[in-house]
Amino acid sequence: MIDAKGVVRGFDDGAGGRVTVLDGASLSVAAGEFVAVVGRSGSGKSTLLHVLGGLDTGYRGEVSVAGVRLDGLGDAALSRFRNETVGFVFQSFHLLSGVSALENVMLPARFSAAPGGELERRAREALARVGLTMHAARTPGQLSGGERQRVAIARALFASPRLLLCDEPTGNLDAETADGVVALFSALNASGLTIVAVTHEERLRAAASRVVTLAKGRLT
Amino acid sequence: MSASPWPLVWLSLRRDRRSALASTFGLAVGVASLVFFVALGLGVGRVVREKVFPVDARLVEVVPASFSLGLLGGGVLDEAAVGRLEALPGVARAYRKMNVRAPAVSVYRGDFFGRPLHMGLEVLAVGVEPDFVVGDVVVGAFADPGPDQPIPALASTRLLEIYNKSFAPQRSLPQLSGQLLAGFVFPVEFNRSFVTAPPPGAAAIPCRAQLVGVSDRALLAGITIPLEVARRLNRAANADADAYSAVTLEAKDPSAVPGLVAAVRAMGLEVDDQERRQAERAGAAVAICTSSLALVSLLVCVLAAFNIAHAFSAAVRAREKELGVMRAVGATRAALFRLVFVEALVLGLAGGALGTLVALLAGVAADAAAASMLPAFPFKPESWFSTPAWLLAGGLALGVVAAAAGAFLPARRAAASDPARVLAG
Repeated sequence: MIDAKGVVRGFDDGAGGRVTVLDGASLSVAAGEFVAVVGRSGSGKSTLLHVLGGLDTGYRGEVSVAGVRLDGLGDAALSRFRNETVGFVFQSFHLLSGVSALENVMLPARFSAAPGGELERRAREALARVGLTMHAARTPGQLSGGERQRVAIARALFASPRLLLCDEPTGNLDAETADGVVALFSALNASGLTIVAVTHEERLRAAASRVVTLAKGRLT
Repeated sequence: MSASPWPLVWLSLRRDRRSALASTFGLAVGVASLVFFVALGLGVGRVVREKVFPVDARLVEVVPASFSLGLLGGGVLDEAAVGRLEALPGVARAYRKMNVRAPAVSVYRGDFFGRPLHMGLEVLAVGVEPDFVVGDVVVGAFADPGPDQPIPALASTRLLEIYNKSFAPQRSLPQLSGQLLAGFVFPVEFNRSFVTAPPPGAAAIPCRAQLVGVSDRALLAGITIPLEVARRLNRAANADADAYSAVTLEAKDPSAVPGLVAAVRAMGLEVDDQERRQAERAGAAVAICTSSLALVSLLVCVLAAFNIAHAFSAAVRAREKELGVMRAVGATRAALFRLVFVEALVLGLAGGALGTLVALLAGVAADAAAASMLPAFPFKPESWFSTPAWLLAGGLALGVVAAAAGAFLPARRAAASDPARVLAG
């Protein structure tokens, strides 16, 4: 599913210098795996996730995801890849405020090149998968933290992606809610979905089928 | 983004109602004031052009030179000169005019449309070729009826307007129309004057004149009669019955007029363009006033565009993470640009439509106020406004353009945002 080789990514440090976050990082993930990426804060875990999801293009190295070679792809092709192949789940949920859960889940369809038939039915199905059938009309402000994260997961699942990329998905949740979300990830993985999750959380690490550590720009 | 941007545009506008309303209101104020003032300028200009100084752009009024070159020719508008004028390139038709070169008065004592009237006034008369005014004759024929018959006469449309709006109300006389006046007979006595002595040995020539209509082309302060009647009266008064007082040239096209004017002057004749100049001066005054007000309105639109730029810049900053998520779920840079830009265009269209509608309603209200509060005066129009389709379309377009100009940079900033940076952490 994922084959990343020698990924190098650096950033300006704001003082005229440059800091290298990924320094020849390589990662292979098989289809159906649930991989937890751990590492210290600032070690480049989110950057790795953005590279794998086609959000970050300023790197060197080779990255293939689901048979798509990402390095060198243009904006339109990368956008289509993000729309159809991967789903993102963020620590801060990043839902559209003032907009219903249903509309939030349908967001990928607004940028899809694929036919948009039965959008609402598909969005309700995605909400049902995360256990929020009754909350479709609620706005994020009317939902709890755990419910918001479930809406974000439903949004990530809407386009039936082959890979779920999660950036600290339980970081803003209390223990009980986080357990529910981790259980949801386990169920999704059991149904065949490949998951790569960046985390500090022990419970997510425990749920993963494999744990890799990012340190000094490399994965071990 | 191949999918329609509209659902997200509506969502966004619905969510940020207050900001959207403020932007729309700003645009509407600018568009409304611009459309209002331009419509007012066009309306007043139309009154000046069509009623106060009704100038036909194809007509050139040729008059004899104020001095003659004697044996060298020039200066006299005789039949030979008219022939030369008719032969000028670009001339479609030449209409001869001859003043009645004897003084005349009209003394009226009797019923005037149901009111007693006792009035005596000096009368000027000019004879014109019937074809020049044939479209304005509503009763009988505009031709010489013979010495004992009433002379067909046309009154000036502008004179009738002045009578109706100034003279009649002050003297409790009835309001008249061209149709009502047609057929009215009044006495005219040539070779008589209240202010000058008649020529020695000249006998008075008593006649009757019958109004057959009103015309924009008729003499303002006098009557316009058939050319052959003027010629007959001049002969009877022992005055020049051969030379014309003026010749009106009708150009094939308004663009030929400048060349015609030059050719006429080269022939030693003059062009009486006093009316045209007055019309141009009045038109220019209206245009300057309108332009000044329109400029102020445009400035309001520019301010509205800045307001939109500010509002959208702030919105793009506030929605940075939201736009980043859109990138994460598959939005291209172009899609985000389109999203922000279309939002602005919707506001622009709404502001333009609202502003145009407000301007139209304000025009109707101003017309109603003018009709009820302003006293009647000559050339007072029923409507002070002219709103051609291009002006309404321009109002809409101005709103859209101002919004587009304001939103362009914020939309580019939205498209250029780095999702990896804004979604980190």
